[in-house]
Amino acid sequence: MTKMPTTPPQISPVEEQEKFLHDALGVVKAQAFHMKRALDKNKLMDALKNASAMLAELRTSLLSPKSYYELYMAITDELRHLELYLVDEFQKGRKVPDLYELVQYAGNIVPRLYLLITVGLVYIKTNTSLRRDLLKDLVEMCRGVQHPLRGLFLRNYLLQCTRNVLPDSSETDADSPEGTVKDSVDFVLMNFAEMNKLWVRMQHQGHSRERQHREREREELRILVGTNLVRLSQLESVTLEKYQKLVLPGILEQVVSCRDAIAQEYLMECIIQVFPDEFHIQTLTPFLKSCAELEQGVNVKNIVISLMERLAAFSQRSDSLGTEGANILQEVQLFEVFSDQVSSIISNRQYLPPEDMVALQVALINLALKCYPDRIEYIDKVMLSSVEMFQRLGLEHLEYHSSVAKELQKLLKIPLDSYNNVLVVLKLKHYAGLMQHLDFNGRKSLSIYILTNALENETIIPSPDETEQALTLLGTLVSEKNENPLGEVDLEELAEEQCLLARFIHQLKSNVADEQYLILTMARKILGTGGPLRIKYTLPPLIFQAYQLAHKYKNLKEENWDKKCTKIFQFCHQTITALVKAELAELPLRLFLQGALAIDQIGFENHETVAYEFMSQAFSLYEDEISDSKAQLAAITLIVGTLEQISCFSEENSDPLRTQCALAASKLLKKPDQCRGVATCSHLFWSGKSLASNKEETHDGKRVVECLKKGLRIAKQCMDVSVQVQLFVELLNHYIYFYEKDNDQVNIEILNQVIKKIKEELPNLESSDETEQITKHFNNTLEHIRVRLDSPEEGAVYKGIEI
Amino acid sequence: MSFFGFGQSAEIDVYLDGQETRKTAEVKTEDGKKERLLLYYDGETVIGKVNVSLKKPGSKLEHQGIKIEFIGQIEMFYDRGNHHEFISLVKELARPGEMIAHTSYPFEFSNVEKPFEVYTGGNVRLRYFLRVTIIRRLADIVKELDIAVHTLCSYPEMNNSIKMEVGIEDCLHIEFEYNKSKYHLKDVIVGKIYFLLVRIKIKHMEIAIIKRETTGSGPNTFTDNITIAKYEIMDGAPVRGESIPIRVFLAGYDLTPTMRDINKKFSVRYFLNLVLMDTEDRRYFKQQEITLWRRGDKVRKPNIQSPAIMAGTQNLENTAAVYGHQNNGSQNETEADDDNEEKSENAPVKEDFLRSQSTDQLNNTVTDPFDHANMSPTDRSPENQIQNMKREEGDGQNDIGNDVSVE
Repeated sequence: MTKMPTTPPQISPVEEQEKFLHDALGVVKAQAFHMKRALDKNKLMDALKNASAMLAELRTSLLSPKSYYELYMAITDELRHLELYLVDEFQKGRKVPDLYELVQYAGNIVPRLYLLITVGLVYIKTNTSLRRDLLKDLVEMCRGVQHPLRGLFLRNYLLQCTRNVLPDSSETDADSPEGTVKDSVDFVLMNFAEMNKLWVRMQHQGHSRERQHREREREELRILVGTNLVRLSQLESVTLEKYQKLVLPGILEQVVSCRDAIAQEYLMECIIQVFPDEFHIQTLTPFLKSCAELEQGVNVKNIVISLMERLAAFSQRSDSLGTEGANILQEVQLFEVFSDQVSSIISNRQYLPPEDMVALQVALINLALKCYPDRIEYIDKVMLSSVEMFQRLGLEHLEYHSSVAKELQKLLKIPLDSYNNVLVVLKLKHYAGLMQHLDFNGRKSLSIYILTNALENETIIPSPDETEQALTLLGTLVSEKNENPLGEVDLEELAEEQCLLARFIHQLKSNVADEQYLILTMARKILGTGGPLRIKYTLPPLIFQAYQLAHKYKNLKEENWDKKCTKIFQFCHQTITALVKAELAELPLRLFLQGALAIDQIGFENHETVAYEFMSQAFSLYEDEISDSKAQLAAITLIVGTLEQISCFSEENSDPLRTQCALAASKLLKKPDQCRGVATCSHLFWSGKSLASNKEETHDGKRVVECLKKGLRIAKQCMDVSVQVQLFVELLNHYIYFYEKDNDQVNIEILNQVIKKIKEELPNLESSDETEQITKHFNNTLEHIRVRLDSPEEGAVYKGIEI
Repeated sequence: MSFFGFGQSAEIDVYLDGQETRKTAEVKTEDGKKERLLLYYDGETVIGKVNVSLKKPGSKLEHQGIKIEFIGQIEMFYDRGNHHEFISLVKELARPGEMIAHTSYPFEFSNVEKPFEVYTGGNVRLRYFLRVTIIRRLADIVKELDIAVHTLCSYPEMNNSIKMEVGIEDCLHIEFEYNKSKYHLKDVIVGKIYFLLVRIKIKHMEIAIIKRETTGSGPNTFTDNITIAKYEIMDGAPVRGESIPIRVFLAGYDLTPTMRDINKKFSVRYFLNLVLMDTEDRRYFKQQEITLWRRGDKVRKPNIQSPAIMAGTQNLENTAAVYGHQNNGSQNETEADDDNEEKSENAPVKEDFLRSQSTDQLNNTVTDPFDHANMSPTDRSPENQIQNMKREEGDGQNDIGNDVSVE
């Protein structure tokens, strides 16, 4: 009976690997056992035979790098027994003749070379005079293994074995058979070059669809190649000079010529990591030159940046240690070298993405900041070369979210973050130019960043020139031009930005008054371009600054101070007018009033006229521009309040103004507003001051009462009872105020009348929140009177009051 | 020896002078075993005594005379009847008469010419022996004693390196170099292989030492190829520009000096076969004859410091003063060996590789001191035909004696 062939059960590649490895390790274990037995019995030939059989497992092509590594470790572990045995025998004087020749009869090259290395090491350990020649021979013979994986591990074994026996003396006697450090360098460099070639070759073997897999395997193996560099760095006799002349050129030549991106990137990084900073500093030029020659796929940026960061850290470290490092830094011109090499890298590497170019510049700036914090011109130099770079690339208006733009943002933020001083940034000649390469949104976001920085650090801008620079820099926020062509302006966002800007304007400040004036005019000129949406926010702080300045002049009392003040108020007038032209009303009105107050306080020559002008401007704004009744009431209240404060007007000016106020109040559209308006106006005639009253309060009781009576009259005209009652209560308060201020036109009867009237009407109100409020207000008022009544000194005043 | 167990019989024993101290050599016998024989060289006197002892003391032995012969002869295994004696010397030890007691006869063959070395191969054997014969009427009593003979050479005057560029068009071009063309039996072959073009996926490369024994002549020529050693020199696929070192120690292998046309009966020649195997198990090979010779017995103590043992291929340029090539191994060109201009005139000849499918056609008796386990199991596969014998374009130099097509 014949059996049909059955297909073997499917096993996964992982399981398969495990099985292969398991089988191989089984053989290794058995052969190692026999080898050790043979060694115990001093049967060297048998032991060699077993060792060779064990090593034959390393000929496999079935294992992945990981499994192969495991196998390699197991085998080399066992080989150590052989090595120890031989060293022991040799040291006892029992040399095995021709052993080095003997192991070379092994028919297969992989076991042969492992044995050769093992035996070679024994010879070197027991007779150093063979060292130089043996090392040369071993590294040369290893060429026979051209299979990448097997070759890499073989040469790794060579490197491991020779770890502690490499000659490390700088003796000048080059013919010493023991060898000098130069022989070690040659040895390791040769091994390195061969390993690297094998490693690179892996990339080009097998199917292209397995590329990712292959690259992963290569990543796993890279440490084997890198170990060569570690070994070189461990040679103590490698001085700076030897490193410059021998070691580094050898490494770089191999790295550049292998033309493999993975290898180049890893190895350059390796060089940076394994060799000391003192060496790097002295070999920047060749290293960076090589960077420029690397393959297109290599992330040169990371390499250069990593070097810069290391050296920057080194420089800081040595700064804190003192002299030596600092001397080196001066000697080496760290920045210049990097700067030159970076620009040559940028110009040589056409395919370098622009964001990487910018990232290099970022790193350069960081370096400059860390190593030479006081050399601001270095930063400027980087910015200049960045500008040139963009021009060469023809890159303009980098899109906000592109990676180039992000890098550029980063670059531009660095000086801010490190100096925290906008003034330093302003000193950079090419900052603004570089900023221009961002698109509108980019510039805007950077501007906000700059602003925030200035605000947080409370940086004062002390001169007109710097003001100009700063505001030009912030052009996207300041000016209406360059407006982002796309989309609607988000008003909320705009408000937020402009508020920042407004806060910043308060920091435009010089200690010298004249200078300050120039600053303000400069700022005014630039801010004026902002258009109605912006000047609403930006001009008011300017005007307040101007008012403050005027106060300052007043305090200084320098020559011509009042002329200067006149000029300042002219400036203010103009500026406010600009706001008016921007079809704003309430804001300029308030500013005019504020101005009038300031003028009154400062009292320079001719100030009455100016103040009057300001007041009249406010009035005309009120009349022409404010139409909303609530706004009107608010405006008139403000005007009255202001006028009440101002004392500089002669009768000739103050009377029309007061009358005008009363008139305006009575012409308000709504009755309640009228009522309240005239009630407010009443105060003008009591506490208002003027030249006529010798800047004392006017105390024109008659006109006060006229106003209040008019108020009562108007209140009575209101149809809504609750409003009427409310107005009565308010009026009652006014009456009480004046009564207490000893206005003889106000007497108890009037108060009683009003109280009575309120009491009559109050119960008729429908109960509501409003009613409750009115009642409360009224009760409070009565309570006030009661308190007064109860007080012994003042009780007499309210005699006859009917509560 | 007696036929019927009666009558007197005698035992012959040949004693050679100084045999206690004389060097011996291992010589293979016909059945493949090895025995140690006393070693003589060409021109050396063979001197000694023949002791004849009677088995039945007291009774006499009658004989027609006693003689001793010194014979060198070649035996063909396929023609057992005919032995070709190239030396035959006879000495009379005793005239016909009677022997009544143990007798000792001194003999001497002075300054015997021994032109060839002893050899035992697949089809032929060359041996030297002494033969003592007690001639009797019925049955002679005969005693033979084999001795070993080694032929020594002095260092050859001409010993060029072998350097050659070979290839398969557009697939593989290599240049290889062996540091010498003549090696003594304890020598080291040092060389290198330089890859000029690699378009095939090479798996590994090895050097085989092949012994070719040719017997007979004309239509009756027999050729026996034996792989003495297989030696892997490269693992994996090299790329263009790689150079691979070769170093093969000969001392460990079972080799004889090259023998050419020994007495017009047979030849034993040696070849280095460079074999490349690709991933599809196709083999590409190139054979080069080398001449082996036995060096005078100045004891060579192989020393670790000797450059030969660690000879890297970097030494090759020095030794390869002339790029000569072997013309069937029989003669060398006679250029001076130190002239650079001459060197360029003798530019390496471009050669074609031979490609055979799968395995070697040769028997495999690799002598590896301790690595027997890994030999290819297919070594005994039948002979393969050589395919694709391509020649390179524009190669006008092929006809200058190269044995490209060894079957």
